[in-house]
Amino acid sequence: MSAGSSIDSHVYVGESLYGGGVDADELIARIEAAGVHRAIAVPARPPGYHLGPANDVAAAAQCAYPDQLRCFARVDPNQGDAAVAELERALDTLGLGGLFLHPNEELFRINGPLVRPLMAVARERGIPVIVATGWLAVSEGPQVADLARQFPEVPIVMTNGGQINLSGLGQVDAEIALDTCPNLTVQTAGTYREDFIEGCVRRFGAERVLYASSCPVMEPRLEVKRVQWAPNLSDAEKQLMLGANAERILWR
Amino acid sequence: MIIDAHMHVDDIPALGWKMGADLVVSRLDQAGIDVGWVMTIVDAPEVNSNAIEWLAEAMAEFPGRLEGFARIHPWYGDLSLELLDRAFALGYKGLKFHAVTTIAHPSGEDSLRLIRRAAEHNAPTLFHCGDEPLTTPLTVAFAAAAVPQATIILGHMGAYLHTDEAIEVAERHENIILETSGMPYPHKIAEAVRRIGAERVMFASDGPGCSPKIDLEKIRVAGLSPADELLVMGLNARKLIDGVVK
Repeated sequence: MSAGSSIDSHVYVGESLYGGGVDADELIARIEAAGVHRAIAVPARPPGYHLGPANDVAAAAQCAYPDQLRCFARVDPNQGDAAVAELERALDTLGLGGLFLHPNEELFRINGPLVRPLMAVARERGIPVIVATGWLAVSEGPQVADLARQFPEVPIVMTNGGQINLSGLGQVDAEIALDTCPNLTVQTAGTYREDFIEGCVRRFGAERVLYASSCPVMEPRLEVKRVQWAPNLSDAEKQLMLGANAERILWR
Repeated sequence: MIIDAHMHVDDIPALGWKMGADLVVSRLDQAGIDVGWVMTIVDAPEVNSNAIEWLAEAMAEFPGRLEGFARIHPWYGDLSLELLDRAFALGYKGLKFHAVTTIAHPSGEDSLRLIRRAAEHNAPTLFHCGDEPLTTPLTVAFAAAAVPQATIILGHMGAYLHTDEAIEVAERHENIILETSGMPYPHKIAEAVRRIGAERVMFASDGPGCSPKIDLEKIRVAGLSPADELLVMGLNARKLIDGVVK
């Protein structure tokens, strides 16, 4: 596939509270080093804690690279009505294209009541939601699936293969989530076992699996190989995973 | 020489994991890797009481390509020790513990006596070292402290969330070696080499389910010097098992 059609479906933009953050220029350089031209970017958790300014940074990045970046709004469900207002500002004023939720960094349970008002906005506006998935107690596979069942009209993308575990303990739950929730898709970044990725393609279709690097947390030059070098996937399947799926689901 | 220091040969229908020695060797060949260290998924004698002999027979089909690590459950008393001795007699090169499946604490006496026995054979003990309780770097470090004469390998070097901690405990315990499989951060490999030396970092993939080719690429992306890369990719592993005695 051409570089122009490939999309990294999850990267972070902006200064990070945890260090290692990148601005839009650096972000573009990193994804292009992996041969990828476009990306879906979400705000990193900023040193100042407040997500509003981080959404402003994302909007500026999208304006600077309109052909290469689509940015999502990040809000903290713990903020209640203020979170809803910030999401609406990000969508209406900043022109961001979706919602990103990080239950581990903002500390909330993804299938709990705090999230529902935001998901209602996503449903009403017809926007997709990316959920940082696999985090203990807040965004485990079954919890994200529970959210997906509450909002079956909303496309929800699970990061990290729907799991963060190097014993494979989260794999079956991630598979059950995909099997039972047609509005769920899954990203490849950092996923334990390439045969898990291939298994998801075999069981659920290549349309349900999206390439992502989670740059700068992970390294695009390595992460893209999980798809490009998969020995048992067809070129057509890789094309879907490397860009067509993100174009269809996330590029707004 | 390139050595993959952590791979699996087993057949687990319950998990849908069928990983024959032929598959492992084909994955080595695809990645240009000379030798793989292999172990079962089961912890002998659980599930498969014949696992030690079974793996030895599987390895024998590929002379020079596979070296065995005996994955043993430490809670079977003298039987566990007998299984380890049997493994070394068959030519195994080390001991493997995975506390997610055994729930045996790394510094429990049942575990320590097997580690000591491995050390008597001048053989290393490879731990699954990840994010789960019983497997984290600080927990495994209790075993490293209790048996300072043993070489302790932190498989996955702390996985997703304990990587920094793995490097820190390796700084505190000179008998700890970090192994890179699965852990998805190339820059942490470079940092580990910088902080504890390239002689104590080893390439592995956790294949064949994980791709040896991709995990080897992770070492290359880490941007080590050519000399350090040679150590990490195989020389360290070779040296570690060259002195193992039956």
